Amino acid sequence: MKTRAVRIRHALIVVWTIAMVIFVYLPSLSITLASLTSSRYFIFPINKWGLDWWRKTLDSIQIHQILETSLVIALVVTAISIVLAFFGALAFARYDWKGRSWFQKLILLPIFFPQSVLGLALLLWFNAIGLQLSWQTAVFAHLVWIVPVVTLVISIQVYSFDPAIEEAAYDLGASRLQVLREITIPVLMPGIFSGGLFAFLLSWGNFPLSLFTTGADTTVPEYLYAKMVAGYTPGVPVLGTISTVGAIVILIGGYLVMLALNRRRRAGAG
Amino acid sequence: MAGPDGVILYLKGLTKTFAGHAAVDAIDLEIFEGELFTIVGPSGSGKTTLLRMLAGMEMPTSGDIILRGEKINAIPANRRPTCMVFQSLALFPHKEVGANIEFSLKIRGVDPATRKRRALELMEMLRLPESYYRRAVTQISGGERQRVALARALAFDPEILFFDEPLSALDYKLRKTLEKELKDIHRETKKTFVYITHSLEEAMVMSDRIGVMRSGKLVQIGSPQEIYSTPNSKFVSEFIGDVNVVPVTVTGDRKLTSAEVPGEFRAPPIADGMKDGYLVVRPEFLRFLSEPGDADNHVAGKLYNEYALGSRIQYHVRVGEMTFVLEKLRHEAFQGKLDQDVLIGWDAADSIVVPDR
Repeated sequence: MKTRAVRIRHALIVVWTIAMVIFVYLPSLSITLASLTSSRYFIFPINKWGLDWWRKTLDSIQIHQILETSLVIALVVTAISIVLAFFGALAFARYDWKGRSWFQKLILLPIFFPQSVLGLALLLWFNAIGLQLSWQTAVFAHLVWIVPVVTLVISIQVYSFDPAIEEAAYDLGASRLQVLREITIPVLMPGIFSGGLFAFLLSWGNFPLSLFTTGADTTVPEYLYAKMVAGYTPGVPVLGTISTVGAIVILIGGYLVMLALNRRRRAGAG
Repeated sequence: MAGPDGVILYLKGLTKTFAGHAAVDAIDLEIFEGELFTIVGPSGSGKTTLLRMLAGMEMPTSGDIILRGEKINAIPANRRPTCMVFQSLALFPHKEVGANIEFSLKIRGVDPATRKRRALELMEMLRLPESYYRRAVTQISGGERQRVALARALAFDPEILFFDEPLSALDYKLRKTLEKELKDIHRETKKTFVYITHSLEEAMVMSDRIGVMRSGKLVQIGSPQEIYSTPNSKFVSEFIGDVNVVPVTVTGDRKLTSAEVPGEFRAPPIADGMKDGYLVVRPEFLRFLSEPGDADNHVAGKLYNEYALGSRIQYHVRVGEMTFVLEKLRHEAFQGKLDQDVLIGWDAADSIVVPDR
């Protein structure tokens, strides 16, 4: 009886997993299918297969610019948020200081704001102080939301960090700077690395904050939305596929780098 | 131990207050060159704060720390010629055994070949296999990690080595082994060790001298033998473990009575002017008597229970509300039945009378 119940349970788990995979990943896959048509409109089933729209999209200067804008914003956001979140995480999880509990609450708050409201608020604020909207203001807007997330990610690593190891290094004659370079940064590296991945991917895919704050510049998600609202071409799923595949490549690449780092560490590059 | 060469560390009125509360309260202490000095006290007695001040990780509120005649109060930990083995060991998790041991040499700019030679020397001394040089510190056992931490501190070549309860996380058997090993390392290196622990038993095994700490003060300093046989207070006498402590009143020259136990007792010489105090008798000095006259003092009670402690057997004897603890070697075991009436006693010379401090 028991083995039968176990078998049924296993079967249900398998069915559930397959269903999840289908519901989550099939829509993404259908985007790719939609990009492989040669006709002007989105029709299922596809009657004329072809790579015409891929060629057109990859040749388009406008698309190049949009990808570049998204990439630059994501890279700048990643760099700045790693630096801010690294020190933020030390303040969040490592050091005991007056006002720390307030800091811990305030820094997390932006994560829970509806992003469209946050975007609108920042737009009004940029206008009020007379800033010209561009990709730079979008970087600022992304940071408001992403730095807290990255701070949390790095903080998790900081919590598992024995403060005594910094003291031990200091006691063994290291200066504060040597402690940071030899101990703190290397030990927190896995957290810093995954924080950086988070920063890049969250910025790369962000729509609501960009919508309000990029001004004349356009990011990939903004372009996709605009084209869906008016002027759909199969170029939209092409760019969508590029964007998604790019994110997946970075995620898997990051995972592999991480594995390599861990292996090297264990094998002992000391 | 041979006679001390001189004072290496001198503490003068050393005090540390946190929010108005003195964690370390005006401590005066001399630590001698090459000795293994243990500071022992319960948690919250201020021993860790004291050690952190000596290592340079806390600044004293007042008082002086004098190392070889030089005041070092304001010198931070990274410029003090002292080194600490931490309670958590604080091994660098991202570095291998070798890189952990060599850390201080790397910081000083010693070349890699010399560094490695020194690390391997220390590993050999501490009986760590040479193959461990490239091993991750997360992949070795607790006892081995202990040795790596010690090797790392010794590589620094400190004037004084501090230990912050490094054995407290280990199981009993390993702790017992490492206590002796540490004392052997002390013998080999001839360095000054200052060790803190909450276990007086651990302190007894290792130390040349022991300082007992309570509420920020050192209440007694002495050799393990002195602390064991002539504690100067109820606190110190009870700290070491099972002991018989009877509240007493001094009634005359070397004469005592107790509200808890009937009879008048003969006592060793008592400090002048003491009225009330505690009579302290170690369990091994209490005997089962066949005649009341077999010892200076005797009391009648009932055998309550007996416990096998390996080489010894412990007996609890109830006298009124009090329980007396006796210990006998296994081959001298007392043959008695539970609840049997027994007569127990001790000689005045085997007891001491201490004040309530």
